[in-house]
Amino acid sequence: MSAEVSFGRKVRRDFFATPLDSVITLAFSALLIYLLYGVLSWGIFNAIWGGDSADVCRADGAKHGACWTVINVRWRLILFGLYPYEEQWRSAIACMVILVTAVLSCIPYFWTGKRLALTWISGFAAFYLLMKGGILGLPLVVERDWGGLSLTVFIFSSVAMIGMPMSIVIALMRRSKLPLIARPTAFLIDVTRSLPLLSIMFTAAVVIPFVLPQWLQGDKLYRIIIGFAIFFAAYQAEIIRGGFQAVPSGQEEASAALGLNYWQNLWYIMLPQVFRAALPPTINQFVITFKETSLVVLIGFFEVLASGAAAFGTAEWKFAYKEVYVFVGLIFFVFVLSLSRYGAYLERRLSVEQR
Amino acid sequence: MTNATDIAIKITGMNKYYGAFHALKNINLEVKKGERVVVCGPSGSGKSTMIRCINRLEEHQDGTIVVMGTELNDNLDNIDEIRREAGMVFQHFNLFPHLTVLENCTLAPMLVRKESRKDAEATAMEFLEKVKIPHQAEKYPGQLSGGQQQRVAIARALCMKPDIMLFDEPTSALDPEMISEVLDVIVSLAEDGMTMICVTHEMGFARNVANRVIFMDEGEVVEQNSPSEFFDNPQNERTKEFLSQILGH
Ligand SMILES: Nc1ncnc2c1ncn2[C@@H]1O[C@H](COP(=O)(O)OP(=O)(O)OP(=O)(O)O)[C@@H](O)[C@H]1O
Ligand SMILES: [Mg+2]
Repeated sequence: MSAEVSFGRKVRRDFFATPLDSVITLAFSALLIYLLYGVLSWGIFNAIWGGDSADVCRADGAKHGACWTVINVRWRLILFGLYPYEEQWRSAIACMVILVTAVLSCIPYFWTGKRLALTWISGFAAFYLLMKGGILGLPLVVERDWGGLSLTVFIFSSVAMIGMPMSIVIALMRRSKLPLIARPTAFLIDVTRSLPLLSIMFTAAVVIPFVLPQWLQGDKLYRIIIGFAIFFAAYQAEIIRGGFQAVPSGQEEASAALGLNYWQNLWYIMLPQVFRAALPPTINQFVITFKETSLVVLIGFFEVLASGAAAFGTAEWKFAYKEVYVFVGLIFFVFVLSLSRYGAYLERRLSVEQR
Repeated sequence: MTNATDIAIKITGMNKYYGAFHALKNINLEVKKGERVVVCGPSGSGKSTMIRCINRLEEHQDGTIVVMGTELNDNLDNIDEIRREAGMVFQHFNLFPHLTVLENCTLAPMLVRKESRKDAEATAMEFLEKVKIPHQAEKYPGQLSGGQQQRVAIARALCMKPDIMLFDEPTSALDPEMISEVLDVIVSLAEDGMTMICVTHEMGFARNVANRVIFMDEGEVVEQNSPSEFFDNPQNERTKEFLSQILGH
């Protein structure tokens, strides 16, 4: 029946069924139009787009909408942070390298252990060489000066790349039949999950140097990434454990009856099905992790949100914080939206296979 | 007297416990090569448990099980060896849903028997032909009917070139109209001389195909006999009651 209902009838049925419905519908439509008009007139109709200094926006008679001039003038600071100005092309390419690597590994052709490993190892190596330099005639830029979007993307993908295998191992240990392995693992998962991410980052950044010998410490950035990865893995391990529980026990029996050993069963039978079952919460975990990267600013790293804050942190641009936050917000939005669209695509693709 | 090399499976004094529950009680069973044994009995009588002990999906606690001359014990090599010799077909098919029909059939031969993909695919197509679904090779299990899935499961087990086939109620999850297509495949295996143990309540199948019917109740083998004797002249009271329940009305 619903298929034949015309648009007009459908609207009437769903939104104007009773007088109260009509009042609510009209009230919310008015509110929506009002808000939308406000946003559009600020962001587009009354906005100032060009120019190279704040004076354009502060001049008498200037439009009173958004002053996008700030992005025009300060975008390099937002995207690259404190990275030396003349070297910022390196940061841009490095960021592209990681993005391309991420996109490649989303393509089914790359879904074998070997291809994925190869792609990411070369991706990270290229990123590191470009960002750090110090060879091939590229001036050295230490990690402390990395910043902006490349840093955000680098932290996110490192956390995912280190955390993901770690979470599989933890989930397997948590599922072990030996209580001596399963119990302590469960305990450690619970402890890690009960700590705020920030405290883990502080531990990695500030406390570890007192505990580990100098040569084992590595740069603060890598310590934070490892701490972050452990935090990610504790959550992701539980997601994966849920995925294991979703696979019917008959699968393991069939593969045992065919003579597959533990590792073959794990790799060819269990994990593919575990990841299918765990896909929606896994994508969710990635989205959360991407947004949590902005916490590193508190340990003194200039990821994209922090470098955005720096962009309006001068007397000249003090007033333009809205524009900068909207711009940074859009960057996050594009990333998170692509992640969740990709997740939806995967789910559709896999449901064709599995039905 | 049979020669030792004619014996496919020999179970002697086998007991199986689930915790305190005595699931199998002193099972003694000998299956000759080429023999076709049907196992029946009421629900919970231990039929599944018994055939699952034969390929170590369940571990027995005492007694011995010897399959094709290899004793089933804690030696992992022996377990691997026996799993290669004994194919198994499950009530709920247990196909791998993320692999195509062809991949379901080639995975174990490539991983366990180390066959090349080309050989494994050739063998797989041959057996898919035998179970009459060569045209579905590229489909996923979810796209097939129950009867087709069960035939794929049989082909998958056959691809490992087992000497023995174990069937655990292969047709009881199927709609009535699909039962015969699966039974036909099993009959054709029987005609090829495959050694098989089949748990089933398809009494017509048992009568026509089996060399021997075994009746189990409460973890014991209560009675075993040739199909005609078993159906026409059951000895034990429990057997009579069971038969009247499933054949009667
Ligand atoms: N994993 C297990 N843990 C505890 N008890 C079990 C387990 N598996 C089976 N049992 C018990 O062992 C007995 C035999 O079970 P089994 O599955 O072998 O019966 P069956 O003859 O195959 O029955 P059905 O015809 O219903 O398949 C049953 O009483 C069952 O409850
Ligand atoms: Mg059973």
